Amino acid sequence: MNMHKIMSGSFFILAMTVNFGFFYGDPTVLSEHSSYELFAAIIVNLIATVLKLGDRTQLGAVLLATSIVADIQLIASATVWAFATYVMSSVGTEAITAIISLSGGALLANIVSVILFIGDTLKSKR
Amino acid sequence: MNEQIIWIVLKRLRTPFLVIIVTFAISILGLVLIQGTDNNGNPYQMTFFDAFYFVTYMASTIGFGEAPYTFNYEQRMWVSFAIYFTVIGWFYGIGAIVSLVQDEALKKALSRNSFRNYVKHINKPFYIILGYNSITKSIIDRLNGRDYRVVVLDKDEEKIDELVLENFYPNVPAFIGDATNQKMLKIAGIHQKNCVGIISLFEDDMVNSKIATISKLLNKKIDIIVKATSQQQLEHFKSMDLKHVKNPFDIISKRIYYGITAPHIWLLEMWMYGHILKLKKRDHFPQGKYIIYGNGRMGKAIKEGLDKAGVEYVIKDFDSQKYIEEKNTTIFGDDDDMKALLQLGVKESACIIAATQNDLLNLTILNKAKQLNPNIFTMARENELDDLNIFQASKINKIYIVEKILADATYNYIARPLADLFIQKLRKKDDEWAEIIVHMLNNITGMNPMYFETQLNNENAYALTLQLQEGEKITLADLRRSRADRNELLHVVFLLLKRGDEVYLMPDSRMKLEIDDELLIVSDEENYDDFEYIVNNIYELEYVLGYTNS
Repeated sequence: MNMHKIMSGSFFILAMTVNFGFFYGDPTVLSEHSSYELFAAIIVNLIATVLKLGDRTQLGAVLLATSIVADIQLIASATVWAFATYVMSSVGTEAITAIISLSGGALLANIVSVILFIGDTLKSKR
Repeated sequence: MNEQIIWIVLKRLRTPFLVIIVTFAISILGLVLIQGTDNNGNPYQMTFFDAFYFVTYMASTIGFGEAPYTFNYEQRMWVSFAIYFTVIGWFYGIGAIVSLVQDEALKKALSRNSFRNYVKHINKPFYIILGYNSITKSIIDRLNGRDYRVVVLDKDEEKIDELVLENFYPNVPAFIGDATNQKMLKIAGIHQKNCVGIISLFEDDMVNSKIATISKLLNKKIDIIVKATSQQQLEHFKSMDLKHVKNPFDIISKRIYYGITAPHIWLLEMWMYGHILKLKKRDHFPQGKYIIYGNGRMGKAIKEGLDKAGVEYVIKDFDSQKYIEEKNTTIFGDDDDMKALLQLGVKESACIIAATQNDLLNLTILNKAKQLNPNIFTMARENELDDLNIFQASKINKIYIVEKILADATYNYIARPLADLFIQKLRKKDDEWAEIIVHMLNNITGMNPMYFETQLNNENAYALTLQLQEGEKITLADLRRSRADRNELLHVVFLLLKRGDEVYLMPDSRMKLEIDDELLIVSDEENYDDFEYIVNNIYELEYVLGYTNS
């Protein structure tokens, strides 16, 4: 047991759970999805990405890749939201579904990441 | 190895990244939560985008002003906290990046990377030289650039700095690294196709032996040129099937042997190393009894040479280090020493050789001997090249500089293989034969001729290969005609011809040439220029061969 493992492990899982929290709800109704939750998801995902930096193993590389995918999806989701609000001046159903489905993609990436992480933990015999 | 640098950078940047993300997140969240007032005095809530925009330019100290509306006091309180919070995080991040650039590990990784890339992009054949010192420097001076490039490894950072300051052209890539470490040898390009050889001339025989073994395992094809100073090492290297073992003491032993028994063979060999082609009076080794001072590696080598030549000698055990410790001086010549010299028979001897490891002792030994017997012939071993001037000023008849002999022999082996071959063949001949050759060379090419090596191929002899390809029969005699008047002779002598594995010493002038023959040519610069003209220019060649009359 070491502090770094606990820290990074909790952030990997938190990244997934917060992401799920934002994703859960009717994909056409924006009021069922909190912008605070999206913000939290982005920040936690970024932190998880940074924690995965510098691991030279094969698994480390794949973990980092999933995290980067999740970041891109979530930031894209937030960008669509900001763009729809300020530039299109109204958030239509199309924009709402885009925002939610982008975060759904990020959720998938996060799930893959957590599965890999748990698989690695089970594999180590200590 | 680019990968490694990226990992070093990423690992170091982990904390700065985390700090920046967390400080930004907290500042943004605060701004979003605090209620603002718009221009009409109505309350409003900042969106995430507004907050992100504001924090981004605030944290990077760009500061465009308060947006989208002027802040109220609650917001300003939060922002004044956030400014210090984020700016500190931001500066910490920049500081970490700057210190990373100065990081020793990263610097090393970067310079190793550039060294590896540089070596990879050398397209000429190159030698790896291990250890940078006065010997290898003189080899680099002569070897670098013409046909070969050089790569240097040295454990010592100072030595590498010294090399960098030398400003070799073309550049000599050098890197700090232990030569016995196979990883370093790999980085220095031992696996590369154009790596022709590795030169290891360390003082320590064990190191040389280790390097030879590793190099042999890493790449079977390359030439391994190592120094061995003892018989055991020599045999060990021979059993490893290394052909190019350099033993400076062995060279000295042979030179003394030939100097005494066959002065013209000695002369020809020395001429290959830059002596003029004429026996001067002081070059003659004297007849009579020899005294050798010092029974180390050098003393033993001289002994061997004298034994073979059948010369009478006495050898005196002399440990220079012990002498210095006991008498606390490097000046030889108190009463005991004089007595010892007289006991050895200085007055009746013809020659004294000072072969100790200390240059100053060698000088003083010879001085005292000269005092006792003004006619005695003096020879000295010189250990350090820096002392050359003192030695030259003190009028010693012969000086053997171990370092220089080693450097010369190595250079000749690499860059002048035919000259090296000539010396080997020459030693099997007798002195009369050598005397005839010397006279002939003197008559045709003068007292101080130069020698050139060339291979008759498309590159060096374009016209000649063209003619040979057409089936023309061209002999060596044909190439000796002058291009000004074909009935006149050029002042050139063909000393040696190498065809495949066959070597012809003083080839017959009626011998027909073939493509890829290698020639050792003695001449001066002007005549050699003419020779090159003839073999490269079709018109000149046709004239010389007698096809045209112009």
